[in-house]
Amino acid sequence: MVELFLAELRRSWIQLIRYSTEAIGGIIITTSIFYGLFLSAQYIAGPGLQFGDRLDAVVIGYVLWTLVLFIMSDIAGGLQNEAQTGTLEQLFLSPFNASKVFLVRAIASLTIQITLNISILLIIIAITGSQLSFPPSLLLPFITVLLGAYGLAFAMGSLALLLKRVQQLLGIFQFALLFLLSVPTETWVGSGRIFALLLPMTPGAGLLRDLMARELGLNWGQWAIALANGVVYFSLGLFLFRQAERETKRRGRLGGY
Amino acid sequence: MRVLEAQRLRKTYRSQGKVLEAVQDVSLELSVGEVLAFLGPNGAGKTTTIKMIAGLILPDQGWVSIAGRNPHRDSRALRSLGAVLEGNRNLYWRLTPQENLEYFGVLRGLTRRTARQRGQELLERFGLADKRSTTVQTLSRGMQQKLAIAVSLIHDPQLLLLDEPTLGLDVEATQTVKQLIREIAAEGRAILLTTHQLDIAEELSDRVAIIQQGKIAIEEPTSELIRQFSGTAYTIELEHPLDSEKVSKVKELGGTFQGQLIYVRESDELYQILDVLKPLPLVRVYRDQANLTDIFLKLVREKTLG
Repeated sequence: MVELFLAELRRSWIQLIRYSTEAIGGIIITTSIFYGLFLSAQYIAGPGLQFGDRLDAVVIGYVLWTLVLFIMSDIAGGLQNEAQTGTLEQLFLSPFNASKVFLVRAIASLTIQITLNISILLIIIAITGSQLSFPPSLLLPFITVLLGAYGLAFAMGSLALLLKRVQQLLGIFQFALLFLLSVPTETWVGSGRIFALLLPMTPGAGLLRDLMARELGLNWGQWAIALANGVVYFSLGLFLFRQAERETKRRGRLGGY
Repeated sequence: MRVLEAQRLRKTYRSQGKVLEAVQDVSLELSVGEVLAFLGPNGAGKTTTIKMIAGLILPDQGWVSIAGRNPHRDSRALRSLGAVLEGNRNLYWRLTPQENLEYFGVLRGLTRRTARQRGQELLERFGLADKRSTTVQTLSRGMQQKLAIAVSLIHDPQLLLLDEPTLGLDVEATQTVKQLIREIAAEGRAILLTTHQLDIAEELSDRVAIIQQGKIAIEEPTSELIRQFSGTAYTIELEHPLDSEKVSKVKELGGTFQGQLIYVRESDELYQILDVLKPLPLVRVYRDQANLTDIFLKLVREKTLG
């Protein structure tokens, strides 16, 4: 298993470095979009306005969103690409079962996604003057967001296996993700708040904003809820993926495009 | 020793109200060192059968056993299986041959060290050593196919599935791949081969199974099949033309002429005609042999017509 993880790590880093223009392009586009939005917001608000921790909260939402988009396109888009190019069936010929292979692969490429994301975050901080704090405890809610993100990515991956073409769906879905990650649901009250706790990744994203933008301490009760949320979505995603694998093999459409 | 056993495989596809019985009660067996040519027209069910054997398509009925394990239930069965599938790249184009071999080696359960060592041996053996660090997308189609076969062998499987391994290759690359398949079979691996190039099937296979409309139409040892379909006619090739007296004698005995060739319908007539020709120099005497292409077309047409 460790050997497989290392092999996946090598495979993904080699491809990233060999075709680094794609990654650099991704970083430039993602940060320019944010900078464009930032400049528009500044123009609307007028020159004297100070964004304060609201800017920081938006930065966290945006960077998390890009991370989740990368993870989503890595798994669901990757599956679609491999079905298209013909390596997908070879992956299913592995004595490790397919969901294990894809999970190990996802964890291995997380190192890439995080590196790219930290670059994006640093550039955004540099151009907007955002002042985020980075307490070590941020890792805990971050893990819950990742669990949710992988859950959703595997659910989308299931659709990629079944339908083969998910690019358009991914395009639409990214707006829903933007809502989930950037709306400050932690400030909601009453039934809206309870509803927000059930949405994927939102409890963890809220906690990250509390920790990094508002510089509050970690609320362990909230974290337990965020963790449960992450675990549920992650398990659901893997379950759907296994079902989709079986259904695709039943339909005989694993390699077909 | 039996490496592959597939019993009564059946697969039906339903789509938009249409029912397609892709494979019906197909059974195949393969032993160590045996090459089975699995032939059939397009859409006859070859690829569906191969993918059911590889565990990539779930059969509606029937079972598969590879080295004693069912790939649909026990993924360890896949350790004994290598496959090059049709129409696929089977490789990562952005990686080099060496990197592909190492990656797929680990994916098939080897350690990195073993994968690297086996990879290097295979690159040498397949004549790809000087291309080990070139990305796959810049290799020729023939080299890519050789590499795909090398990758399928990285974990030293007992059974190899080759679906159209020479498709789209030029003459030279086809010859190389053919030679490789011959060598791989000689190592004692069982090979299930599908191809539209019937001369290759005839040359490489020990047995032939022809599938038609989802059913096995015939399964025989290749030489037996050719014998069955070969007639009892002979051809005698003469070194010099015959004089008119001998020509008329040969014709009386039932021989027919075309230039310096004499066609004889039955073996009884052959010896009588040879007596007439004695002691003239002959170039050769041979029995007319059917080839797999004739047999295949005959079977497929018969089946289609009736």
